[in-house]
Amino acid sequence: MLDLFGPYRGYRAPFWLAVVLLVVAMAVPAKAAPPKRIVALTPFVANTLVKLGVTPVGVGQTLGGHDRLSPKLSGVPVLPLSHPNGPNLEQLASLDPDLVFSSRTWAKGNESMGDLGIRVLVQEPFRLNGAYAQTKVIGGLVGKRKEAIALAAAMKRSVAAARKGIAERPTVMLILGVGRTPFTFLANSWGGDLVTKAGGRLLTGGVTSSSGFERISDEIVVAEDPDVIIAVPHANEDDIPSLTEYLRSNPAWQTTSAVRNDRIYISVDNSLLQAGTDVARTIRKVRRVYLQN
Amino acid sequence: MARRALVFAALVVALIAAVVASLALGAVKVPFADVIEIVFGGGPGGPDQQIVETLRLPRTVEAMIVGAALGIAGAILQGALANPLASPDVIGVTGGAGFGAILIIILFPGSIALLPVGALFFGLLAATMVFAFAWSGANRGSVGKVILAGIAVLSLFTAATTGLLAAYPERAPSAIFFIAGGLTSSGWDELQTIWPYFAAGFICAVLLIRPLDRLALGDDVAASLGSRPHLIRLGAAVSAALLAAASAAIAGLLGFLGLVVPHVVRMAGGTSSHTFVVPASAIGGAALLAAGDTLARTLRAPIEMPVGPFMVLLGVPLFLWLLRKAV
Repeated sequence: MLDLFGPYRGYRAPFWLAVVLLVVAMAVPAKAAPPKRIVALTPFVANTLVKLGVTPVGVGQTLGGHDRLSPKLSGVPVLPLSHPNGPNLEQLASLDPDLVFSSRTWAKGNESMGDLGIRVLVQEPFRLNGAYAQTKVIGGLVGKRKEAIALAAAMKRSVAAARKGIAERPTVMLILGVGRTPFTFLANSWGGDLVTKAGGRLLTGGVTSSSGFERISDEIVVAEDPDVIIAVPHANEDDIPSLTEYLRSNPAWQTTSAVRNDRIYISVDNSLLQAGTDVARTIRKVRRVYLQN
Repeated sequence: MARRALVFAALVVALIAAVVASLALGAVKVPFADVIEIVFGGGPGGPDQQIVETLRLPRTVEAMIVGAALGIAGAILQGALANPLASPDVIGVTGGAGFGAILIIILFPGSIALLPVGALFFGLLAATMVFAFAWSGANRGSVGKVILAGIAVLSLFTAATTGLLAAYPERAPSAIFFIAGGLTSSGWDELQTIWPYFAAGFICAVLLIRPLDRLALGDDVAASLGSRPHLIRLGAAVSAALLAAASAAIAGLLGFLGLVVPHVVRMAGGTSSHTFVVPASAIGGAALLAAGDTLARTLRAPIEMPVGPFMVLLGVPLFLWLLRKAV
């Protein structure tokens, strides 16, 4: 009788182990192909995809103000967004997406998208470190891991360069909205983090909130006396003079250093409100125009 | 008579306590002795002086005036319309003022300083529309017609406001505090613009006290006593519109206060006489809003919350209790 295993007698255990491993390896399905039809509802993800060489089939409109999407996305359909539902589900479904990168801002809509069988991932950083990490995650998901690691590293280098030589650290109150009751950006907001990285000392009255924004008493503003006040309204550039005048004439802030030294600024490009990939440029602008450090 | 005097004295004490708390408490701790000194013209200077003089004092005065105005508006409307559910909402003022303010916040953020004027203008416009519909055609000036016209105009402006918020959702956060109702630390500027409307409303209300008591006897009896019921009703509606629109311009939408306070003082005093109900509602409203605003400023300090929900929290249990008693 032919003894096929004869030469391998004494090596049975390693042999069978190798066979089992081979069978298991063959049983594991092939690695899932990266999604082809991607919708990016935030400018951060849309621009990151472009930098990774992936063109989404749809992008979300940016929050008010100027369009912050890459010029390479000019032909891509833009989906209007409404709070808290996000995009119109029929419009979204017509794009037949494999994957939607959404934001927690559209939390209610994210559930509905999931009900339609669309894969939804929430990817919008609220801190700079989150931007590096999420760049890599996005790269991994779209099959561009190496490129994403390089992109995150390049972003880190450009941010480090933009932060070099900070001479002064003025105290800053960063406010959202221009109603009679503006909200204050906290340290865990995108704008708060960027102003801090640019050398500002953010005034928050010691408040923390998962939302990143709170309505803080004017008494705290008077007591903490900010050197600089930056307002991020939902407005146009044409409104800057009147908004500046309105904020400057707020009787509650009259004795603050920011008002006395005429250091009230309006930021209308939304780069402090919504995460983007142009971080180093934003930090440079904050330093040059607002903090002057 | 003794019961009314007792209730009146209690309301005055409550108002004094609310005013003292409003001046003494806030996000920043200011020694009470310094607060007293600052209020009476002295003070240590520096940020504490700025906080009490520029932030707390105008805000406390605004709370008293707005609270009194809404209390009076509710009292005279309930009397004039002989309807316990009457409030500034019924004559469309709240809906109009809300639309005016949201219009400025959403579409003209560069002209945000015009917010009180916008609220006042549209509040009075809504009331004018109600008067125009209610005092024309058949059954002009009847209670039912006034209330139905008010509800229709309120619905119209509420729909317009909702439409604006839905069209510009990213701008909605700036409008939340106005809708929820809340005072701001904006110094004396707003009062300087709006005070003539308060003054006209208060004077008109005082002049209506006795005619409203005659109207309470019924239209026929009032007419036999020489009064003109429709004119009294129109005067009361105009006065309430002025007071409620001016209040909305300063403190946002706090209409609920005008509904509850007159009922409370009526029950506590055991009388519906407007000679008692109108001034008592003024003092009660002032005390309630000053106390509610202090709570809103200090409960989660230094975070400021809108005062509207506190008014409702205080008012709903009382109102439900009143309803139960009425049944």
